Amino acid sequence: MTEPAAPAISTAQPEDFFQLLKPRVMSLVIFTAVTGLVVAKGDLDWISSAIAILCIAVGAGAAGALNMALEGETDALMRRTRGRPVAAGRVRKNDAMTFGVILSIFSVMLLGMATNWLAGGLLLLTILYYAVFYTLLLKRRTPQNIVIGGAAGAFPPVIGWAAATGQAPWQAWLLFLIIFLWTPPHSWALALYSAGDYAKAGIPMMPVARGAKSTRLQILLYTLVFVPVAIAPGLTGMGGYVYLGVSIVGGLGFLLLAFRLWRSRAGDQPDKAEAVGREAALYDVRAEAKPARNLFAFSILYLMALFAALLVESFTAVPGL
Amino acid sequence: MRRLTPEELSARKKRNLAIAGALVVFIVLVFGVTVLNLKRNLDARAEAIAAGEPVGYAQ
Repeated sequence: MTEPAAPAISTAQPEDFFQLLKPRVMSLVIFTAVTGLVVAKGDLDWISSAIAILCIAVGAGAAGALNMALEGETDALMRRTRGRPVAAGRVRKNDAMTFGVILSIFSVMLLGMATNWLAGGLLLLTILYYAVFYTLLLKRRTPQNIVIGGAAGAFPPVIGWAAATGQAPWQAWLLFLIIFLWTPPHSWALALYSAGDYAKAGIPMMPVARGAKSTRLQILLYTLVFVPVAIAPGLTGMGGYVYLGVSIVGGLGFLLLAFRLWRSRAGDQPDKAEAVGREAALYDVRAEAKPARNLFAFSILYLMALFAALLVESFTAVPGL
Repeated sequence: MRRLTPEELSARKKRNLAIAGALVVFIVLVFGVTVLNLKRNLDARAEAIAAGEPVGYAQ
């Protein structure tokens, strides 16, 4: 009797594990967390601040790794995500899961030790919210998945604020609200020109569940709520004139693009959007879907500009209203 | 048990080195955080003594 062949060991490279952390999402997390930490004007020394940002980044990455471990089969069905390490078979599901759990524990513990346990607790909440609540419970059940799940991406500035001061006052939650309300128009704009993929994977994203026309209207409605909230820090003394100018001018641009998208036919023929293949080709779409692509790209720029303005003002003491 | 291929051996070695590097960084970070926390506590104690407040077991 022949012995069954021993399973081959993994050939995953360290680079594959780094990709599990979703480095592009992580860069946005770092940026917003740094803003929260700096704007809070706490008395945390710079070494602890750097450790806090590292922990928040690694914690967010751990949530991404858990998401990829749980979503491997689904990711393999979508062109945008099929190159991910688990979906492509380069990293085993269990390895990704172990990696995510270990990084989660280390990042939360270290953040708690280096700063305070409010920050550590909020980081733990963020990881659980994204990996368990969003990925396992919400994503496949409701077209509102991205609305509710968007909270996970909105926590980093609050964690940064809590790390710096040990508190999470309303100003921190205003930053949370900005990202929370920004997420639906941003994600649905992308979903409008990759709806075919979501349908194939059985994920009820808004364009799949309610159709492109309803999605375009909801993007416009969310934008109408989001832009005033984005301007709010400039009216409450949190941001100065630079922030006020950036938020108003950018907000008007956001509204214009959302209005154009509403008037367009973007997403009406999602199956023909063959150009959207690799993740790198997110911006390469057919003419009909360009209003959705434009809003998606501008939304990233606008969010970065808002937080950059707050950061700049923190270092230069720009006056405000 | 079959022999590992050169590709498997090379990948395992790289992963091991990455884990070793990550562990060293983690140890340094924990050490640094411990030192910072000690310093914070000593500073707080010195301030309390200067203000005439009871410290340590005297509380």
